[in-house]
Amino acid sequence: MDTGSPTPTPPLHAYQLPACDATVREVAGEDTFDALRDRALLRQNAHWFCHLRWIVSGGLAMLAVAGVPEWTTAIGLSVRPTWPLAAASLLAAVNLVYETVLRRWPRDTTAGRIRLLLWIQIVIDLMILTLVTHFVGSTTSYAAFAYLFHIILACIFFPRTESLAIVAVAAVLYAGCLLWEGTDSIPPRTVFAAMEDLPRTSVAKSVEAWRLASLFGIWLIIWYLVSRLSATLRDRERQLAVTNRRLEASSQERARHMLQTTHELKSPFAAIHANAQLLLGGFAGELPESARAVVYKISQRASMLSQRIQDMLQLTNLRSQAQAPPSPTRFDLGEIIRTIVARAEPVAALRGIRIQADVEAVLVRSVEDYWKMLIENLLSNAINYSRDGGVVNVLCRREQHATARVAIEDRGIGIPADKLEKIFQDYYRTQEAAQHNPSSTGLGLAVVRQVAHLLRMSVTVESALGWGTRFTLLVPTCTSHVEDS
Amino acid sequence: MSYLLIVDDDQDFADAVATVCRADGHEAVVELDATRAVSSFEERPPDAVILDVMFPENPNAGFELARALRKKAPHVPILMLTAVNEQFPLGFSSRDIDPVWLPVSGFLEKPVDFDILRAKIRELVAGPPATGV
Repeated sequence: MDTGSPTPTPPLHAYQLPACDATVREVAGEDTFDALRDRALLRQNAHWFCHLRWIVSGGLAMLAVAGVPEWTTAIGLSVRPTWPLAAASLLAAVNLVYETVLRRWPRDTTAGRIRLLLWIQIVIDLMILTLVTHFVGSTTSYAAFAYLFHIILACIFFPRTESLAIVAVAAVLYAGCLLWEGTDSIPPRTVFAAMEDLPRTSVAKSVEAWRLASLFGIWLIIWYLVSRLSATLRDRERQLAVTNRRLEASSQERARHMLQTTHELKSPFAAIHANAQLLLGGFAGELPESARAVVYKISQRASMLSQRIQDMLQLTNLRSQAQAPPSPTRFDLGEIIRTIVARAEPVAALRGIRIQADVEAVLVRSVEDYWKMLIENLLSNAINYSRDGGVVNVLCRREQHATARVAIEDRGIGIPADKLEKIFQDYYRTQEAAQHNPSSTGLGLAVVRQVAHLLRMSVTVESALGWGTRFTLLVPTCTSHVEDS
Repeated sequence: MSYLLIVDDDQDFADAVATVCRADGHEAVVELDATRAVSSFEERPPDAVILDVMFPENPNAGFELARALRKKAPHVPILMLTAVNEQFPLGFSSRDIDPVWLPVSGFLEKPVDFDILRAKIRELVAGPPATGV
């Protein structure tokens, strides 16, 4: 029996698997994302607000000009040009300052600073509006309802409490205007000529108070409705943005997983194929003819299985992308085709097949990865079903009406007319095709169909037994060609 | 005759490639991970590198190694062999053969036909120097 002292435990290293994975954690960091989104939205709103102010300033300037001629009196108005001109100039001057500040602020300016600028803009606007209300007629016109524009804008820009504060500022300014006019130091004004010379009627204070209360009541109702609607919209927008972000993260995760799965599944077959080639090449000694035939079959099947794994994963990947396809970019389709042709040439040369390419530069706006799959699968199909020593023609030419024609044509075994519509089905191979190329996966044209659906593009196939097959696509091109861009 | 460095985590595949290269008269050494590949490269710079893309600990190790090797020797040709072709998103394309981003001289997809591989190696070791940084 071993009576020696037990082996001391060495210092242990520990790791705890987090409860949620990286993708979930990343999406959970929504606060930063929200802050960035709010900042961009606030900045956009601040610019929009400035544009609106230019329109209002222009309107006031036009009112000033219209107030000069006598015809305004004919329609019952009496507009002295001084106040609209002063208001227009004031608005234009402050607007110029806001726009300059906004342009100079860097992109990473905090949401707090932009919100403060919006607050300053709204408060100054309300002060100018109070001045305009005084001249238009604080009690003799509906000018007081113009405050609603700023209340609505505040509901769009700010959270509910801040927009309510804007209602309070507007109420204080308007009530101040009325009180100011009530002191007789500043007589009330109006733009209605008929009311200018009328003696000021004394209205009971209770009536004045009720009138003011009803106006503020209307403002509050409008504030409540718009702020609630705005909050709902903001919440929906936020949910949509978060969902979109989760979808993007999940799509990236899926693509990464797809790559690794493909690698893991294909690698063993690559090793089997490589070692089978060693046996066939006599690198491990000469094999009897019957053994060579067996090893050749193993090699072919390993290669075929590897290709089938890739096609299946690719098709699954494409089908799952149908709901959220990648964003299109501008690229030269001719360059993509030339690259794929160059890569296919050594494979074709093993069977003495020549690829004749007549490819022009064609600028398109589409998903580059999809075009690579489309061309690679069509070209691979043309090579597979060509006869040894044959020719494959690849054409990419600009045509009229901003389109380009892409055609891939072989002089191979061809497809019977009654089977043409079936060739794009998963795993479908004509009897002639299966005999000519037993290692075909039957998925290449299914990938073409899926990509064509994603690109909303039709593929024309023309064929005759013994003549060969031609696949043609008409592609919308960008207005300027590569040489011009 | 050239000295070739084959870097691939799949020993069965890498040994088969090395056998074919040696049969063509080249001297070939196999390294199964990126770190050892760098040491081997520093000890004796090869005439060409045959490199896998994805390694167990890091799916981008092949790209990173290509960039590191290119910095050390801008003119040594690098041929990438990969089981993942360019048809997948997050894949790569021939236009990525760029001296800064992915400075390799060519790609071949696994399973690779040895006749094509041998022709490509002959072309790389005999051809003009690869583009360097």
